[in-house]
Amino acid sequence: MANSFSPPREIAEDLSRAADALEIMQASGDLAPIAATAETGSPSIPPAMFGAGGPMLKRFDESTVQSRKGSRAPTPPPAVKGIGKKVAKPDYSEQKIVVAMVGLPARGKSYLSNKLMIYLKWLEYDVKVFNVGQLRRTRARQKAQQYADDQSCLLDRQLMNPAPRLGIKEDHTAAFFSHDNPDATLNRDKLAEDSLDMLIQWLKEGGNVGIHDATNSTCSRREKIQKRVAKEKGLTLIFLESLCDDPAVIAANVALKVSQGDPDYKDMSPEDAKQDFLKRIREYEKVYETITEPDLSYLRILNVGQAVTMSRINGYLQSRIAFYLMNLHIKPRSIFFSRHGESQYNLEGKIGGDSLLSTRGMQYAKALPALITDNIGDKPLTVWTSTLKRTIQTAQYLSFPKLTWKSLDELDAGVCDAMTYEEIEQAYPDDYANRDEDKFNYRYRGGESYRDVVVRLEPVIMELERQENILIIGHQAILRCLYGYFHHISQADLPYIKIPLHTVIKLTPKAYGCDEERYTLPINAVDTHRPKPKTAQQPTVNSSSKRRYFVEEPKTTE
Amino acid sequence: MVAPLYTTDSGLLFHAGKILVITIGLPARGKTHISRALERYLRWMGVKTNVVSLGDYRRKTLGGAQKLPSDYFNLGEKSPETIELRKKVSAGCEKLIWNFFKHGQVVIYDANNGTKAARHALAEKFSKEGIHVIMLESMCDNKEIIEANIRSVKISSPDYRGWNPDEAVKDYYRRIEDHEKYYEPVEETTWPYIRILNVGEKIMVNLLALKNLKGYLQSRIVFFLMNIHNRYRTIYFARSGQSLIEHSYKADSDLSPAGWEYAEKLKEFVLERRAKSLEQRGLNPQDRRLVIWTSTRRRSHHTAWPFLQAAQASLTASASTTPTSATTPIPSITPIPSMTPVYEEPSSPIKPPAPLNVKVIEKQQMSEINPGIWDGLTPDSARKYYPQDWERFVKDPYSFRAPRAESYHDLSVRLEPVLIELEREQEDLLIIGHASVIRCLLAYLIGLPASEIPAIEIARGDLLEVVPASYGVHSQAFHFWDGPGRHGDGNSHHSGKDENNFYENYAEDTKGKRKVAAQEPEASISALEAA
Repeated sequence: MANSFSPPREIAEDLSRAADALEIMQASGDLAPIAATAETGSPSIPPAMFGAGGPMLKRFDESTVQSRKGSRAPTPPPAVKGIGKKVAKPDYSEQKIVVAMVGLPARGKSYLSNKLMIYLKWLEYDVKVFNVGQLRRTRARQKAQQYADDQSCLLDRQLMNPAPRLGIKEDHTAAFFSHDNPDATLNRDKLAEDSLDMLIQWLKEGGNVGIHDATNSTCSRREKIQKRVAKEKGLTLIFLESLCDDPAVIAANVALKVSQGDPDYKDMSPEDAKQDFLKRIREYEKVYETITEPDLSYLRILNVGQAVTMSRINGYLQSRIAFYLMNLHIKPRSIFFSRHGESQYNLEGKIGGDSLLSTRGMQYAKALPALITDNIGDKPLTVWTSTLKRTIQTAQYLSFPKLTWKSLDELDAGVCDAMTYEEIEQAYPDDYANRDEDKFNYRYRGGESYRDVVVRLEPVIMELERQENILIIGHQAILRCLYGYFHHISQADLPYIKIPLHTVIKLTPKAYGCDEERYTLPINAVDTHRPKPKTAQQPTVNSSSKRRYFVEEPKTTE
Repeated sequence: MVAPLYTTDSGLLFHAGKILVITIGLPARGKTHISRALERYLRWMGVKTNVVSLGDYRRKTLGGAQKLPSDYFNLGEKSPETIELRKKVSAGCEKLIWNFFKHGQVVIYDANNGTKAARHALAEKFSKEGIHVIMLESMCDNKEIIEANIRSVKISSPDYRGWNPDEAVKDYYRRIEDHEKYYEPVEETTWPYIRILNVGEKIMVNLLALKNLKGYLQSRIVFFLMNIHNRYRTIYFARSGQSLIEHSYKADSDLSPAGWEYAEKLKEFVLERRAKSLEQRGLNPQDRRLVIWTSTRRRSHHTAWPFLQAAQASLTASASTTPTSATTPIPSITPIPSMTPVYEEPSSPIKPPAPLNVKVIEKQQMSEINPGIWDGLTPDSARKYYPQDWERFVKDPYSFRAPRAESYHDLSVRLEPVLIELEREQEDLLIIGHASVIRCLLAYLIGLPASEIPAIEIARGDLLEVVPASYGVHSQAFHFWDGPGRHGDGNSHHSGKDENNFYENYAEDTKGKRKVAAQEPEASISALEAA
């Protein structure tokens, strides 16, 4: 069957005839239709050869499809036609990793596991954190609820007055965490084991990275984990130890724990809660053993990224995880996002292009320095722009160091570049509907999809994690992807995040998310946001930096 | 971000300061392999890097082992002359390092550095001058790696010119033994250290000593080292087949009839060539998978189609079902999890044809260089409409970026994640790519300066075979196809010069071709040793 699917001779001739015809049309000027509509600013600039707006692309495709139809090749790949297609997610099914956290309470374990989850999920790995504390609290709550329900049923049946719904409150003070409390130790062991079982089950059902967020503070516990994971085929295990020797960081973590409404301390005064929590830490410290087991594959992070030790690390995803964690830091800083000022193309409703700013866009560029200076004071800041004129123009009055990044250029709309959505819809109604159906996965012909943009932005995210105060003057799709990373928004929702023109978004990374402030300058601009069609639901932005205390139940937030 | 994104006032990249990497390890532990790989990577990133090899220096100044006193490699009782000689050699190396640091940023000192006292003294000396020191230890507990290393590299060194191979191996083991007696593995944590086990199999890193230095370059180095290996493998490069509209990036067109023919020929030739070279090495093709990377452009992943067809056919055959293509589910060519054939032991007594173990992966980062608004133009119209841009383009085709286009430099930056995965890949790899992408990847593997990248000749119809080796790579080119679009310069009956994507291939076409490998079919081997 070796040669059977190369196109037979007559079709080959068809194709070359089609190509010839195109060339003749091109030569005679028949095929330069965009020239009439595209006022690109300079009359001398020739039209794009294969834009979707003119008949050239269509005619070319028709000739290709015609000749393909006659092909006797058994199964050639689908012919090229139209202006884009949906692209499936890459296959990550070979990646199955258990990441087991190790560390004393208040050492940033949950912070690291949360960061790691967000990063990997952004890259479309399926990641889930299995937090033993959450499981403990959730179970205790269920138990309490159960008991309360039982009690009230009983009371109802006895036709007595409804009693206040009081459950059993399990003792989760420091005594529960004492190594000398055999019942509680058993209980805690059981919780950790159940949590690991749930994690493994989840990996088997298709997950990629399961993070076991618990203290796992002794050699014997780690040995148990190792043995349990070794029973499963195809799973790799790495330990991620979070050490912290900076008293200020620990104190801040403790304060956060106490102040953020940890249900463990619901009915305690902050001072009592703090004392109890410190006592809990001491209980762990008594038995804590840092990782020294020579055979374990592990990463040890000091002060959330300040220094790294690793041992026996191999594997693709593992090395990426390690590199990511090496680049983290927790110095206070802010990240500012702004789109370029309103551009000529924005006014005309066109996508892509490399047009200059409109008058209002220029006003925005001039107003920007004052806004940024008000916010940042005399702290250092670096401005990143794309290589496109509109972002460079927008940044021109800012007196901070600037860098241009090719990777920050707007999503490439390929053959649809420089067209309006209406024009696209008119020229290719089916394809247009296709994109609306699944915007994240839709790749413009000769251009990019949102996924392509995410892949291209990965090094930018890595660099952003390393840097301190940064202002990015970017584009709608680019900022959606970056914003989605910091706020942990699902990939399907990325293309619908609202990033209006003439607005500065300030993100301040906190322990469990980012705080957000938006500053809209009173300079009018067109709205370039296209809402998700049909479904009314806009992505919900969880811009809260609070931590979760319970296992997520279906449709429960916070 | 990698590749010279920005430089600092000092001219050093990434605010990283100057770094001395001291390698530590017994002989034949892959120190040179690691040092050279790291040097290649850092240079590609734009960091001025040099390996200073004690062995090379000694051979250059004193000559081969036969010219040395017999106790030279014996760390024990030595005559005063030998001590003097050894001192002279290490002093000479140190001088080389200092010299390089005058303008360079990273030096990798490739020597055994087996004793704690000696390496500490060295580290102190450089550290005092503000140079960051990293200890890089290479250990092997796999005897095969050591033996292979001795046989393939060590005994072909000038030290053993004229020796009987077995004698040479024996002598080399003796040399190692002497070292072993005095070798002290790194246990101290005074300096940040990286320990690599079996050339990349496992890695241990302790950057605690770096505590207050956020070392980006250091973390890059670690990330790179986590991804290298020295398993024998071959990397093949071939261009995609001719497409219907060669000169348009945006149209992303199908293959032309000649392109389909080319794709078929490519498949046949690669499978034949690979079988031959695996046989030569005594490897069974069925044990090893052929991984194919394409870009997401149609001309590139359609060129891989015949491989998928063949894999599908062999799978159907080996599953002994009736091969009716109508009922066989046809895998989609986009990310192809299902196309990795899974093999079961055939139960039928008739031996089915050997299954073809192929996996095709589309890589988003591997698209050809984007010509921006010059898309679809002929060189003449580009020159006419953009005279100033044109002038700059012709002057510097590496760093010039046409409006909205990518420069070759942009392309290199985009390809960096692909390079890491290229290092990581253990299987034989066929890259069906675009000329611009192949140029960048080859330049990295061979270690060519960036400015030469645009002019590297990549002819359609040549298969480039690259085998990574200790001191660099061996590369070889095989010519397997002549047909329309071979050079994109008018072979095709209906095409003129503009059929070519001139933005991608301008330098090759005009600046005199920079040949990477021999061009004659089945040609001689040009082993390229890194400088």
